Amino acid sequence: MMDQMLLGLIVGSAVSIGAYSVLIGDNPISKITENLYMGILGGYILATNWDFINKNAFTRIQGGQYIYVLAIILSLMLFTRLKREWIWVSRYPVALTVGVGLGLAMRATVITDFLGQIKATILPLNSINNLIMLIGTVTTTAYFLFTREYKGTYKYINQTGRLFLLVAFGVAYGQTVSFRYELVIGRLVDMLRPEVAMYTYAFIFIVAIVLAIGYLTKKITWYS
Amino acid sequence: MSMIKKLLDLDQRIIYLFLFLLLAFPILHPVILPMAVQDYSRQAFEFADSIPEGSIVLIEGGIAAATYPQCGPGMVANIYHMLTKGVKIVCFSIGAEQQVWTQKAIDTALKKLPPGVPAENGVNWVNLGYIPGGESAVAAFANDIRSVVSKDYFGTPIDEIPLMKDVNDATAFAAVFWWGGSEGSIPYGIRQFYGPFGIPISGSCTTNEVPNYSPYISAGQLKGLFGGVRGSAEYEYLLRLPGPALGQAMATNFGGLYWLTLVILGNIFYFLQRRGES
Repeated sequence: MMDQMLLGLIVGSAVSIGAYSVLIGDNPISKITENLYMGILGGYILATNWDFINKNAFTRIQGGQYIYVLAIILSLMLFTRLKREWIWVSRYPVALTVGVGLGLAMRATVITDFLGQIKATILPLNSINNLIMLIGTVTTTAYFLFTREYKGTYKYINQTGRLFLLVAFGVAYGQTVSFRYELVIGRLVDMLRPEVAMYTYAFIFIVAIVLAIGYLTKKITWYS
Repeated sequence: MSMIKKLLDLDQRIIYLFLFLLLAFPILHPVILPMAVQDYSRQAFEFADSIPEGSIVLIEGGIAAATYPQCGPGMVANIYHMLTKGVKIVCFSIGAEQQVWTQKAIDTALKKLPPGVPAENGVNWVNLGYIPGGESAVAAFANDIRSVVSKDYFGTPIDEIPLMKDVNDATAFAAVFWWGGSEGSIPYGIRQFYGPFGIPISGSCTTNEVPNYSPYISAGQLKGLFGGVRGSAEYEYLLRLPGPALGQAMATNFGGLYWLTLVILGNIFYFLQRRGES
């Protein structure tokens, strides 16, 4: 009998090749893998959340902590969105969730994301890094002052700020490209393992044949 | 000029094909290029290394299937590092899928441990599993763990776990390691553990998120950051624990060089074409 781990890797390889086939063009194989992924993930998330509710709400209610009945009722109220006339009922748990979330986040945001960040830019000007940090922060903030006329000294401040913004966007873009590579490489590492590689090559061959037939018979559209 | 136009209009599928071959090559034939350790990774490593023996640390495992190959090796190294130092670990995840990968990282680290290192479930480490609710849940967890967790990943009641005996809130932890993957949740840790409780925190994320968290490192709110596969490779290197990340980092370098070449050539061809037209 095939090892469970090996089976997982082989299935993973097939699904990855199917998903990557979208790079050649939209096709039924990529659609199947996309839907398969969404279906499995949706089912898994549903099961996991149900398990959490079971462990943390129903068990506690059975243990006499009846306050958790309220949480269950609020959760069920969310499902009233399914019927147009009852949508208003679902707004209560949504409002509660958003309110609590915002309140908890704001409590610490002022300290960490606001005061902490301002404090971090008040630096002694004894190194080139600190100087760049100060100039970058001031000019970039100034770039977003839209109430001032774009001329004189402000024009140069504005342009410097734009330069810093472009550098930041460039860094973000470069890092994003690198991240996408890492995603592909992560898959390739599993797909090209010695024990899986033959299956991977076979899947590539099968997908190529299916797509070639699809394009030649014009059942799949070749985009240009 | 027509040649330049043809190159500028090159079918993107050809670009993808070359990219695929270039990324696959270093995996099939490992090539190691010289690599310098980044400041962020060194800071994160030194922070982890400074945690005293006997402490308890909290690890948020936010790595999913897609991000495990890049951030997973780093998390494995982190768990290995803590256990070999005699530091106890409490893990949790704020994503449903992520709890499984957190357990996988723990299992992988346990297999790598040298003989004699104590690593008993419930005594030296515990995985509390998935906690839904995003930042609100993290805040509740930090204030009262038992309000959001009653059983661990394996279904053991939290009150029956020896490690959790005196662990009730954030103050029980000497440090927090936030392995956020690509879930963008590191600020949750900073806001809910560092902000109100002053618990030092370091993190890891996918490469694309590193610029988002740089300001937190500059402000001292984040003690360091392992970014993507390179961060993981650097953790393995600094810990002298060879793992899968180093080979992957090399493949990323190849991809980066390829992309850089395309960007430079694309710009040169574009200007040549413009000059030709004028």
